Amino acid sequence: MENMNLSKHISGQFNAELDDIRNRVLAMGGLVERQLEQSLDALSTLDSELAQKVIDGDHKVNGMEVAIDEECTRIIAKRQPAASDLRLVLAISKTITDLERIGDACVKIAKAALDKRSKNQQPLLVSIENMGRHATRMLNATLDALARMDAEVALELHKEDIKLDKEYEGIIRQLMTYMMADPRSIPEVLDVLWAARAVERVGDRCQNICEYIIYYVKGKDVRHVSYEEMEKDLNF
Amino acid sequence: MISIDKSAMNTNSVDLNNLSQEETALEIRNLDLKYGDKQALFDVSMKIPEKQVTAFIGPSGCGKSTLLRCINRMNDLVDNCHIGGEILLNGQNIYDKQVDVASLRRNVGMVFQRPNPFPKSIYENVVYGLRLQGVNNRRELDDAAEQSLRGAAIWDEVKDRLHDNAFGLSGGQQQRLVIARAIAIEPEVLLLDEPTSALDPISTLTIEELITELKSKYTVVIVTHNMQQAARVSDQTAFMYMGELVEYADTNTIFTTPRKRKTEDYITGRYG
Repeated sequence: MENMNLSKHISGQFNAELDDIRNRVLAMGGLVERQLEQSLDALSTLDSELAQKVIDGDHKVNGMEVAIDEECTRIIAKRQPAASDLRLVLAISKTITDLERIGDACVKIAKAALDKRSKNQQPLLVSIENMGRHATRMLNATLDALARMDAEVALELHKEDIKLDKEYEGIIRQLMTYMMADPRSIPEVLDVLWAARAVERVGDRCQNICEYIIYYVKGKDVRHVSYEEMEKDLNF
Repeated sequence: MISIDKSAMNTNSVDLNNLSQEETALEIRNLDLKYGDKQALFDVSMKIPEKQVTAFIGPSGCGKSTLLRCINRMNDLVDNCHIGGEILLNGQNIYDKQVDVASLRRNVGMVFQRPNPFPKSIYENVVYGLRLQGVNNRRELDDAAEQSLRGAAIWDEVKDRLHDNAFGLSGGQQQRLVIARAIAIEPEVLLLDEPTSALDPISTLTIEELITELKSKYTVVIVTHNMQQAARVSDQTAFMYMGELVEYADTNTIFTTPRKRKTEDYITGRYG
């Protein structure tokens, strides 16, 4: 977030408050990133202990969302932020919602791992490891772009989601083949489907966060806008 | 990608760059102003749209009040004040030699920071301008007084004591009375120089509400130190700094995505 290179507020307290929410959203991002990695690990190794750890850890993510949101509300009420400050507070308030939802996706994945384990089943019918790794990388890079408030990187990452969607479609196609070949595989197919769906949603959430980054840096709302328009708008 | 209908989102803001003659109430062209050797305004050019609220903001001494006072030639009263450039009101340069300043000021009313009612009754305050214009018909004066006091949202509070002294009113009421006095002569433009800086928060809100109503009939130009006030009441905002017009755009843009760094720094409290 340093590349906007804004000078300091006259009010040191206001500076401190903005720095505080900035740091806390990054800390929350770090936590969610770990949750995602661990949930995917738990699923590929069917490690019930790790899965349980992820499920238990979700309340921490939820707590952070509430706390940061409260702080954002307080800043709006007390400071009436304008321009880039306003955009920062709004972007953070929206980012934490998406981070929290990624946290929920992690819980879903972890629960799938627990479920498999309790039924003494083999690992997933179709591996989602590649897709999972891709999503983790994307989240990691998104948080990086958030830390540096880099709109150009955010735009690149926004496009990256298309690849993740393609991988998801690939998995669906494989699953269809299984279902057509043997309807008895459907329960297991559904397990994979839910997990893959959760991972695919992580990509969408990252996309949202990228949109908030662009909104903060460029002051343009790029939701529901085509890439051509986006690039024209942003003069990249 | 789902496309969205942006027409549902925006406001009634006008395009300042393509303002037609009819939509323009005032046009300031290359205005320079010097107090003696000290230049207070540098080449200010802007178009102020009709029947909208335009706010001037900026730090103390940036020239915003000076610019406002130019619009009804209040600076004529200052010795050693030299003005270059033009201000067009209805296509006529108000600094032309043949312009009668008194009639200009009938068209361009002004309200100051401190309420300044005359030491007369409420009624006499409102009809003062009309009497000066030679109106003496009782019915006409009564009607004008009621209409102006209603227009200034103070009628209900004073209708039973119209002949009491105006100094008996509260600060907020006095300010609204002064606004009533200004609109009694039906000006085209109303200039407000920090009209709420001497008032408490509730009176301030009443005046702000009033400003929003006034724009249906008048072009309002307001100078304010309170940025949130500019954000609340104005349609256009002009940010001035050291005698220059730094940025002039619709208020939504100025307060969410200003283009100039100086504007950004000022409205986010980083100025200095």
